[in-house]
Amino acid sequence: MNDDLLPHITLTLGHLYPDQLNLYGDRGNILTLQRRCQFRGIELRVVELGIGDALAPDEYDMLFIGGGQDKEQAPVAQDLLDIKSIGLWAAIEDDIPVLAVCGGYQLLAHYYRPADGPDMRGLGVFDAWTIHKGAQEPRCTGDIAINWNGNTLVGFENHGGRTYLGTAKPLGKVLKGHGNNSEDHTEGAVYRNSFGTYMHGSLLPKNPHFADHFIALALARTYGRRDDPFTFLTPLDDTLEWEAHAFILERLGLYNAAADALRTYTDVGTILHIPKNQVSLRVNETL
Amino acid sequence: MSEQKPPHFTNREARKRSVSNSTESQMPANHSSKTPSNQHAFKGRQRISLRAGLAVMGGRAAGALSRRLHLGGGTSIAGMVAQRLYPDIVGHLSTQLAHGSVLVTGTNGKTTTSGLIAAILNDAGLRVWRNREGSNLMQGVAGALVIRARPDGNLRRAGQAISIFEVDEAVMPQAVQILPPRAAIFTNLFRDQLDRFGEVETISMRWHQAIDLLPENATLVLNADDPGTAHLSDFFHGQVVFFGIDDSSFDLANEGLAIESHQVIDTRTCPHCGGEYVYSIQYYSHLGHYICSQCRRERPKADVRAVKIVAESIDRLRIQIETRTQQGEIVIPLAGFYNVYNALAAIATSQALGINWEPIVSGIEQFKPAFGRGERVHVEGRTLRLLLAKNPTGFNEVLRTLFSDGIRRYVLFVLNDNTADGQDISWIWDVDFERTTHHLATLTVAGTRAFDLALRLKHAGLEQEAMTIVASAPLRALKVAHESKVRNTRQHRPARNKEAIRNTHMIELDDSITNHRTTKTYGISHALDTAIRQTPSGETLFVIPTYTGLLEIHRELEHRGLTPRYWEERGP
Repeated sequence: MNDDLLPHITLTLGHLYPDQLNLYGDRGNILTLQRRCQFRGIELRVVELGIGDALAPDEYDMLFIGGGQDKEQAPVAQDLLDIKSIGLWAAIEDDIPVLAVCGGYQLLAHYYRPADGPDMRGLGVFDAWTIHKGAQEPRCTGDIAINWNGNTLVGFENHGGRTYLGTAKPLGKVLKGHGNNSEDHTEGAVYRNSFGTYMHGSLLPKNPHFADHFIALALARTYGRRDDPFTFLTPLDDTLEWEAHAFILERLGLYNAAADALRTYTDVGTILHIPKNQVSLRVNETL
Repeated sequence: MSEQKPPHFTNREARKRSVSNSTESQMPANHSSKTPSNQHAFKGRQRISLRAGLAVMGGRAAGALSRRLHLGGGTSIAGMVAQRLYPDIVGHLSTQLAHGSVLVTGTNGKTTTSGLIAAILNDAGLRVWRNREGSNLMQGVAGALVIRARPDGNLRRAGQAISIFEVDEAVMPQAVQILPPRAAIFTNLFRDQLDRFGEVETISMRWHQAIDLLPENATLVLNADDPGTAHLSDFFHGQVVFFGIDDSSFDLANEGLAIESHQVIDTRTCPHCGGEYVYSIQYYSHLGHYICSQCRRERPKADVRAVKIVAESIDRLRIQIETRTQQGEIVIPLAGFYNVYNALAAIATSQALGINWEPIVSGIEQFKPAFGRGERVHVEGRTLRLLLAKNPTGFNEVLRTLFSDGIRRYVLFVLNDNTADGQDISWIWDVDFERTTHHLATLTVAGTRAFDLALRLKHAGLEQEAMTIVASAPLRALKVAHESKVRNTRQHRPARNKEAIRNTHMIELDDSITNHRTTKTYGISHALDTAIRQTPSGETLFVIPTYTGLLEIHRELEHRGLTPRYWEERGP
């Protein structure tokens, strides 16, 4: 592709609380977004937003919040409510794609109720709440695969709290694993372009289609009215990504889904390198 | 079965006896001053107990059976059976040790630290009993005692004996309760096996419980540089010995490498006030000289300190030591800066046990690394060096050791996610693989999660063509192989199937995706061959496996007759 013909495209990612919420390889998610943008000539700047830093919604094209230890979540929750709540709400209502993993997901729901001690208030972006029943209740730990708009997402989950959805739309249906609460087969939550999920491992490296979807959402929002974002999402060689993806599916006994996933990267026909049915409606509307 | 038979029990008995006789005879008058002086409550107490005898016999029978069936060394099973028959077997046997016991715990460095202490005490003329590395849960500890006990329920030759047990972080409270130690060593606290422990904080809480149970006449040995262990002294009223490094030339800031900012910090805030720690010197991760930004509590002064460290070669560290009573120089024959901490912990413990300086120096300088901790194996004209890396900080430090002098290395990574490794491998994304990119001669990636690691390396900037990926057999293929094996051999020896499948490393796969038959190679044996083939003769191949990867490599080397079976390895 001729670089001169491409307009210079820059995206800015706000990484919230990188020092406090970094327990489960969250660097993998950031790296994946960076690499997948870089391979397509898109410059992705990462801005770290720690405790005390203000969040100006118009400065970011995407936001990421990771997971951390309970002990470190309390000051983060405080900061989220005191300092970042207005900016974050504005960003979310303005359709900025937000990915919140594990602890970050819990913080974006209504509240987190620990086994002992007072409730920890969240932002209430997702109509959902989390209850930790105490040490006697086993943690939800292990590989997980979900159905997301007809495609699989794979990851690893490790959480003590159970999340229950109110009116929030789940991210997907659990195929194998625990998901939100190991009762209702839901995993994660979606509100506008915000995604909350328990899946790490890291999530984005092994789910390139989801990573691309996330990038596409940001491109559509920021550049959508001037350019077709999908022309920039040129296919990449995702052999390793899909092999790793399929490995988890195979391990979970989902052999057909694994074969589908492996077929994805040999499927040369699609421009997006991902099956068509997962291009979300949201993006199409914006176009 | 081509491998050699386990040696006869009587042979091992005889060998052990001859060794122990020689150490005893080597103990003339000048050695007696080196043996611990504070024997206080630890006089060997022997008493006949029918129940203990039964437990010992049951455990040893189970262990012998396990060895005979080639299931393993049989110490853990011996301990498990004995504990089932007599739950207090550990307490019963441990009180007979003339010099008591020492417990070593922490995320990294347990095996090397306890190995170093054992080498020092051995040189000081004591008979040292250890649990085998990996058997660090209570049944492993019990097993280590049971296999040295007589059928009357008493220990053999308990006089002059001291036991050094490495104990899993999470079982430390039980261990302290059942086996009151003379010294308890906490090496460091990093994130490890989060799927098992939940969070780093969980371990911290278990350790508080352990300290509460620690008898006051015991000595607590703590890493002053790790705020996660140093603050444990607040919960203990007995003697505390701190060890630490006082050499600012190893500060990360001095390395001047931007990538060093990617450190995995696991203790960030002060447990007293929640304030953030600020560092004047940071060695790696959260280890260094710190002070709380709010309550101003700072790193305790180290009693045993390394004031100057010179890395003479990859596995020769010359350190200048200062303790309250002694100054001196010691050469640590091990690879990796982190081994300075292990050596300091061993020195601090030995001094607390009343050991003189000479055996400390000789014990450390002549130390032979344990399996997977940097020891050498010679294979087809190449040297294999195995460096276990099981969590982000451990991995980062191994990479720092190998890739800081600009020499291109031949490397084999093995990443497994079995239960003993921790099933969550997200942590590989926290490891600084970026520093390897321009320093790799050849690279082979293997293990159950080879693709995940390859993906991580790809994101670190490595070309996919630059690595050879040898995955474990995919489950699909395993399933097919298993089914055909079961069908063919059901009448005969179904027990062998597992082994047969594990050793299958050429699998013909009817590839439904590309619609043509391909023969793919899988498995650790093939990975090792590939890596060795890529390494020129005379060069060194660095093998960096996770825990079960290390066991697989070991099993593979055993099959090739290059290393002894691990339970035949004789510790110091």
